[in-house]
Amino acid sequence: MNDRPYARELLATARDAFSTEILPALPERLRYTGLMIANALAIAQREVAAGDAPARAEYERLCKLLSERPAPLAGDRLYGVLAGYNRRLADEIRAGRFDGKESAAMVEHLRRTTEEKLAVSNPKALPGKNQSQEST
Amino acid sequence: MTNLNDPATRQRLTEFVARAAGARNASIIALEQMSGGAVQENWALDVDLDGELRRWVLRTDARAAVRESLTRAQEYAVLKIAHASNVFAPEPLHLCEDPSVTGRLFFIMQRLPGVAAGHRVTREEKLVPDPGQLARELAANLARLHRIKPTQPGLGFLKTMLARDDIAHYRSYLDTLSQAYPVLEWGLRWCEVNAPQRQETTFIHRDYRTGNFLVHDGHLSGVLDWEFPAFGNPLEDIGWICARCWRFARPDLTVGGIAGVEDFIPEYERVSGRHVSPQDLDYWQVMAHLRWAVIALQQVGRHLSGTDPSLELALTGHILGQLELEILNLTGDT
Repeated sequence: MNDRPYARELLATARDAFSTEILPALPERLRYTGLMIANALAIAQREVAAGDAPARAEYERLCKLLSERPAPLAGDRLYGVLAGYNRRLADEIRAGRFDGKESAAMVEHLRRTTEEKLAVSNPKALPGKNQSQEST
Repeated sequence: MTNLNDPATRQRLTEFVARAAGARNASIIALEQMSGGAVQENWALDVDLDGELRRWVLRTDARAAVRESLTRAQEYAVLKIAHASNVFAPEPLHLCEDPSVTGRLFFIMQRLPGVAAGHRVTREEKLVPDPGQLARELAANLARLHRIKPTQPGLGFLKTMLARDDIAHYRSYLDTLSQAYPVLEWGLRWCEVNAPQRQETTFIHRDYRTGNFLVHDGHLSGVLDWEFPAFGNPLEDIGWICARCWRFARPDLTVGGIAGVEDFIPEYERVSGRHVSPQDLDYWQVMAHLRWAVIALQQVGRHLSGTDPSLELALTGHILGQLELEILNLTGDT
């Protein structure tokens, strides 16, 4: 087992030092790269903090939608099964199996999955949050 | 990167310009690369032709052409026709198809004044004192562009992409990926089920949005980047300029971060004689976000595959969630 501080703590400390000490000292032409590095560190930090919880929630909802019995999966096995279930869901959506009344529960699942993803990748874009936009 | 300022190249370019313009004396006053353009390079070219100063842009391939993009000769042909149809666009002047001049094909066009950068156009009030007026100019200009019909001679190389062609195209791309994208599949299925019964087909620009047009003295000066046109449903261009990703500093303003739809749609309807319903607008905004999602996946793919490792491309992968949320919001109450 690694010694503390763990990855999550190291990322937080590194990002803090980068944002308060390096970023303000960067010349204008490097500022955009600096902002991208700070953003990448923040995403990585939130991903480590969230752990398996979002994947686990997504898996349990998918089991319900696809009429599968949920198993106590974790780690690589969880992500492997999740990828397979998402492929099945995608194929069934394309084949029109969620066109009718079944769409409500499926779309609700997609919305929650998307919001869980945004909580890691871009929490500012979550509904009810300040709508600031990153554009290229 | 091409170096057009190498003395021998500059000499050959001077000779080409004199010949093409029918001038007795030509000399290059200034030649420098302009910012932007990862795929194509633009060079600001000032030339003295028999004592008269001309301000031009030389546009040339930066590297191997990307898929789905027109060749310079095709782009030149498109610009000729757009310009002749009273669309605000730089006038194309000379096409060079002889690779011995600079090593690559290029064309020369008029250099229009103005600012294109999306974050400036949507933020700096002095650049756009009357945003409603600019939105109406963009609408009228788009309506004129949509008067170019598939029967137009000289554009036979353009493909036709109607709603179902777009859907098939995006699906075939998703099928090449190892990961599945259920939200995008849902958006595509929704577009398939709700596809317009009757579709008009006109010339479409396919990248008509903030960041791709010049604003000068608060007015539309010209539309740039004619790389991706096709024949298709004209409403596709309206969905694209209204997509969230082009609103830059003003996500609250639907039309490219410049104005609300009330300043754009009525003027487009007036000049085009075409009706745009709120359902049409939703439909083509969903399609726009699907297209942008596919582009984002292609960009992050360049990073992940190792062909083009870059932090910017890597982070593009993380805008997918925003696009998916927008698709879910637009496909409405379930």
